[in-house]
Amino acid sequence: MIKFHPSSAMLNDHIAGNLPLSLSVAVSAHIEMCDQCQKAAQKLESSQAEQLWQTGNEEPVDFSDMLHDILAEQPEITCKAPNKPEAMIEVAQQHYRLPVALSIFSDLKWSRLGPVSRARVINNENEVRANLLHIGKGASIARHQHKGYELTLLLDGSFSDEKGSYHKGDFIFLDGAQAHAPYSEKGCLCYVVQNAPLYFVAGVSQVLNPLAGLLY
Amino acid sequence: MRIRLSGNLSTDKTLNSSNISELSDDDVQINHWLRSVACEQDKIAFTRLFKYFAPKIRAHGLQRFQQEAVAMELVQETMMLVWRKAVLYDESKGKASTWIYTVMRNYCFDMLRKIQHGKEETVSDRLWPLLDAEQQDEQKSAADHLLSRSLLSHINSLPEQQKQVVEAIYLKEMTQQELAQHMGVPLGTVKSRLRLAIAKLKSKLEEGHD
Repeated sequence: MIKFHPSSAMLNDHIAGNLPLSLSVAVSAHIEMCDQCQKAAQKLESSQAEQLWQTGNEEPVDFSDMLHDILAEQPEITCKAPNKPEAMIEVAQQHYRLPVALSIFSDLKWSRLGPVSRARVINNENEVRANLLHIGKGASIARHQHKGYELTLLLDGSFSDEKGSYHKGDFIFLDGAQAHAPYSEKGCLCYVVQNAPLYFVAGVSQVLNPLAGLLY
Repeated sequence: MRIRLSGNLSTDKTLNSSNISELSDDDVQINHWLRSVACEQDKIAFTRLFKYFAPKIRAHGLQRFQQEAVAMELVQETMMLVWRKAVLYDESKGKASTWIYTVMRNYCFDMLRKIQHGKEETVSDRLWPLLDAEQQDEQKSAADHLLSRSLLSHINSLPEQQKQVVEAIYLKEMTQQELAQHMGVPLGTVKSRLRLAIAKLKSKLEEGHD
């Protein structure tokens, strides 16, 4: 049972095409896993469409050349069933099928730090970075917080932190003020988006701060 | 006892008259135009759609990109996709005007990435997967419901053309596209035969179980 969902504002922005790619990937993948948000998304799509088409005082423009050009094209008469792109990945000797949205990332390069493996998928969208993160059985990430936000979409498995436990499909959005120390008893695979580096806040693990760049 | 054929059967929405009555006159008209483009490549219907949507898309493009040329590109590409891909529109999934909105939204998203980040690849089709991909799953779950024995006997009592369609799609698991090709008829014909058949089967089942 999915307990954590994108906010309605974020869902609305996603449907309007206004989110950055990194976040739209997460919302889209969540929608694929969550019936409730799928229904909400369809409603938003139809109400946004209604609102947009409502305007009635457009300037008259001569479009006749354009219309002529379009009609000169041959329309498709049968539709090839779009192949649902299969995104299968292997990490830490395990196989996972990813939601369609994540199939836009190919050629994943995993780097491994102990029981934690990471593949960076977005690195150049302003300050935003996105990673696939695999946490092995019984592993944890030291208590940390972020200077910006951290979005975690749980693609498979489960993990828990001080606030509770999270399961496949959960969409967990933390802003900068919240620190947490995720622990995964059975292992998990996440898609994580951050817009600023994380830094470790607890005792000994602060010595790890120079390594934090590896996790961001 | 009342047996419902399947809650998520893709034809439910069109069969349900209360939904149809919610459509405004404009919506009914736009659905009709797009259906004519999809089924008959009707140029007059497309011209009407074009005249209705082109100025609105341009206005949206101007507001969003502040450039005449970019706004016109958005009109051109959106309406070209509507013309070429109309056959992908599935009326049971929603209004034609919503579908055209999603085509424009997707093109906008890829265009914005191109302008801001110089990225050429299209990703929008995977962020908002075409409803068609989903449809396959729905057909599968509908097939489970349909494979009851009483239903099989009702299928045999359907008119020949409808029977062919139901058998091929649910029993032989062909896609609607494959079947259209196989039978040499437009996809829209397959869809409408299927809708008629489902409506008939539904009423037969309800008769038997009331």
